[in-house]
Order: sequence, then structure tokens, then C-alpha cells
Amino acid sequence: MNGSDFAFLLPEIVLVATAITVWAVDFFTPRDRKPDLAWPAAAGALVAMAFLAISWGEHREMFLGTLRLDNFSLFFRFLFLTVAFFVIVGSPGYVRRKLRNAGEFYGLILMSTVGAMGIVSSREFLTAYISLELVAFGFYVLVSHARHEARSNEAGAKYLILGAFSSGLLLFGISLIFGATGSTGYAAIAAALETTPDFGMVWTLGVALVLAGLGFKVAAFPFHSWAPDVYEGAPLPITAFLSVGSKAAGFAFLIRLFAEGLFPVLDDWRVAIGVVAVLTMTFGNLVAIQQANLKRLLAYSSIAQAGYILVGVATLNADTTSGMLLHIAGYTATNLGAFLVVIYFHNLTGKEGIDDLRGLYRRSFLLTLVLAVSLLSLAGMPLFAGFMTKFYLFTAAAASQLWWLIALAVANSILSVYYYLLVLRQAFITPESEEEEQRPAFRLPSHARATLSLLMVLVLWIGIYPSVFVDAAEAGSRALFGG
Amino acid sequence: MASYLPLLVASVAAIGFVGVALGLGFLLAPQQFSRLKRTIYECGMESTGGGWRQVHIRYYLMAILFVIFAVEGIFLFPWAAVLGEIGTFAFVEMLVFMSILFFGLIYAWRKGAFEWR
Repeated sequence: MNGSDFAFLLPEIVLVATAITVWAVDFFTPRDRKPDLAWPAAAGALVAMAFLAISWGEHREMFLGTLRLDNFSLFFRFLFLTVAFFVIVGSPGYVRRKLRNAGEFYGLILMSTVGAMGIVSSREFLTAYISLELVAFGFYVLVSHARHEARSNEAGAKYLILGAFSSGLLLFGISLIFGATGSTGYAAIAAALETTPDFGMVWTLGVALVLAGLGFKVAAFPFHSWAPDVYEGAPLPITAFLSVGSKAAGFAFLIRLFAEGLFPVLDDWRVAIGVVAVLTMTFGNLVAIQQANLKRLLAYSSIAQAGYILVGVATLNADTTSGMLLHIAGYTATNLGAFLVVIYFHNLTGKEGIDDLRGLYRRSFLLTLVLAVSLLSLAGMPLFAGFMTKFYLFTAAAASQLWWLIALAVANSILSVYYYLLVLRQAFITPESEEEEQRPAFRLPSHARATLSLLMVLVLWIGIYPSVFVDAAEAGSRALFGG
Repeated sequence: MASYLPLLVASVAAIGFVGVALGLGFLLAPQQFSRLKRTIYECGMESTGGGWRQVHIRYYLMAILFVIFAVEGIFLFPWAAVLGEIGTFAFVEMLVFMSILFFGLIYAWRKGAFEWR
């Protein structure tokens, strides 16, 4: 270990420093100005992004091999900073209406981001676990941050209990794997598997428990049950953050673990993960159809999306990894777009039901447009990110010849179109009552218009001309698989 | 296993010492109890209720803060033991760690964690 390693952690250090600064400034800010602390917090995320450039193309083992900086971690660290930036920039209006302690809110978002950035860099169980807990601790507080709302408190309690339980499963699994192989380092575990191909029951149980623990974090069936309630009860920006940031962090953990540690035994687990993937997407899609609340619909849709990404884990190789990275990037931009629309709609109306969207087309063209682009992208329509990234992912997965898996994934993708279009029907077609027609058009703040447009452009960019993103995803996958 | 023998001896000695001391005290000391003498003694404060009564949730905040600084203390011992070998770098690192915790203390204080509202 030496001091120069720290230079490569500058983005994380900047985030921590920004969070502490925001908390300190919070003391001296009058209550009505506190929501504006979003701007320094978002600026911190941007500065951290600039410092990421230092690790460009750098492959480096740090801190006794517990952390590894490579293009894979670079890809995800950039992604998490983008997520943090958009979540924070999308928050002030909501925070002003609903939350006290705004400084705490923004600072904790940054801290959770630091944890997520740690997960993707760690190639050792305990470091990854500690980072995962840093993410989760931030979320426990953030989910219940609307302290005076019963639903938020309920969501916080559920998330805390189930989160602690899943951490327990994960830790127990890690201890069994450590018991079998004598190491918590991914590389050492892979080496142990090369010499001893079969560790028996202890090993199987260990891997199964680790998968269950991470299954909770990414809300895969049958470990998804916390997701809809928590998504519904949490403050809206945090729901957005959970559905993209926390999920991407869980997948980054899974991908690096399987690519660097468990790859020799992957064949034993392909079918199991594939079955979980199919159940996850089928369940998510079937239940999403019945939802009347926009937040719950997006919650179930994000469960289904986790199923698609799990297809890539089940068929893990260099190509599907770049497929997954690309899909996660596309899904992130898309889902952030959808949630920002819900946030701004909620700020203006206080509602979040699908029925309440009636007449949205007349009241705000931009909101309707971004909602349409996001939902069509989630549904996997051509021209939008969702189609391109799913196409790339499923094509890569097809090489594994698990045809049933690919067929069911595609069938599910078609199924999902139905409920996304139901939402759009409310926004575009369903007529308003005479009374409702009197409602004035929405006036969005200019920063809202800017972020919405930016996300829409991103979704279309990934959907139409994705070569930049494909290159980045492939560079990330090469970091794990060589070549 | 032989290396654990001293540990066993020390444990037996410790338990024995405490047992003998308490036992002798029990046997030799004059025992006259009154109701007042049987009450719980806590730092000179007048006690209210039994030892198993429910604790107010606000203690939780204080307990958490206590644990944080107790853990900080635990980190300080190994650091102090090897400080001479690692040098300035470790010193600065620990300063950063402690100042972050110190900020946490100020934060808790300013946010009224120590006020009994």
C-alpha cells in the first residue's frame, strides 16, 4: 500500500468531502433555503466525475488486492455518479414539499454512491460486503426520510428488517465459502476451485446463500417481496435511486463475483439462475399489469428488468457481460427519465395514480414526451434504448444455446408492452371530464426541463447510435475477461 | 492445544478469585438489610422503578453515539502500537478518521441529539 493509491480514489474522496461539507453548511442555512443544497451536492458529483478521468484505462490492484481499478469499475463508477447527479438534481422540488433535513438527504445520497463505487472495485468478499452495507445504511435512512408519513416509516422498517436479514444470508454464505476455499479473495477462490473442483455441500450451500443475499438486493424472485412496498413508501427520488443505483450495484457485485471468482463452477448454476431470471421477469410483468399506482407499476417493471439482466448472468461470458453493462446503462437512463416525470408530476399535482395522468398531453408536452420515450424504451421498442440494449443482450445470450431462456425472455418483453401502453393511453387518449379540462397547463422549472430533455436525448442516443456506449461496455467486459 | 493451557489457568484463577472474594464477603460481612438498602444504586441518582423496566427509545441515540466512540477507541490501540513503523502517513490517516468522527459528534450535538425533548 502506498500513498499514490489514494490518487485513484479521488472521486470517492471528493464525494465524502462534499457530503460532509453539505452537512456542515446545513447548520447555517435557513430552513427555506435548505432544499437548494442540492446544487452543491450535484456539483460535487460532477467534480468527482472529472476526477474519474485519472483512472481512464488504468488497471491497478490496490490496498493489498482488495480493490481493483479497471474499465469495469470505471464504467460503473461513472454510471453511479451519473445516477447520483440526476437523483439529486431531480430532488429539490420534492424535498421542499415533503422533507425536512434536506442537507442530510443529499449527503446520504452521496454516501450511498460512495458505497456503490466501492462494490464495483472490490474483488474480495469482505470489502464488497462493507461497501454494500454503506449503500444499504444510507438507504435505510433515506427510505424512511419522510418521517411524518406512515407509509415512509413502514417502508423504512420493512427495508431495514429484510435488508438486515439478506445481509445475514450473504455473510453466512461468505463464511461458508471462506470455510471451503480458505479465502475471501475472488482470485484465490477461483484458484482453489481449479485444484479442488468439488467442495461438497458446504460449498453449494455457501454459493446458494450468497446468491439469495444478492437476490434480495437486486429484488429477484422469490426475494422481491420487499420491493413494491418500499418503492411505494419511500420518498420519490429515493425510489428512483433504489430502482437504478442499488440494483446496478447488486448486479455489479454479481458480475464481478461470477467472472473473477466463481467462473469455474458457473455451469452448475446456469440453469438455476436462468430459472430465477424467468420467474423474476414473468412475475414482475404479470403483477405490473394490475397496478393502478404509477410508483408500484414502475416497481414491478423494475423487478421484471432485473429478470432480463439475470439472463446475462446465467449465460455469463465476455459478450453477455458487455450486453449487461449496456442494458444497465440504457435501463438507468430510461428509468431515471420515467421517475423524474413521476417526481415532477407529483410536485405539481400531489398525485401518482395512473388515472391521474389523464390530460397530461394537454397540460405538459415535455412531461408526456419524456414519459412516452421512457416507457416505450422500457417496453423494448425500436429506436429507444430498451430495444437496442435488450437486442444486444439477448443475442449475446443466445450463443449459450439456452433457447428456452431466450424465448421466455423475448416473450416476456412482448408481454410488458401491454402495461406500458396502458399508462400511455391514460396520458394521450383517455378524455378528461369537463371539470378536468379547466385545469391549467403545468409550468416546469427550467432545471427540470433541462434534466428531462437530457435524459430523453440519452435514451434516444443509446437507442439509435449506441457505438460510444457499446465501446464502453465492451471495454468494461474486457477488463474482466481479457482479450 | 498446549498453547491454550495458560488461558485455561488464567480463566480458572480469575473465576476462583472472584468467587472466593465474593464468597468470603458474603460469609464474613454483617448482613442487615433494610428496604432502602436494597434499592438500585446508580451514580447517586434516586432510582425509579425496577431494573427490568422498559428503556426510553431516546437512550438509543446516546447508546449509538457511545458505541461509535468506543469503536474509535478500539481502532486507536493497534494504530498506536505500530505507529512508529508506519510513520507520518498513518498519523495523517488517523487524523482524518478522527476528524470525520469529530464532525459526527458536532453534527449530533447541533441537531439536538443530546437534548431530552
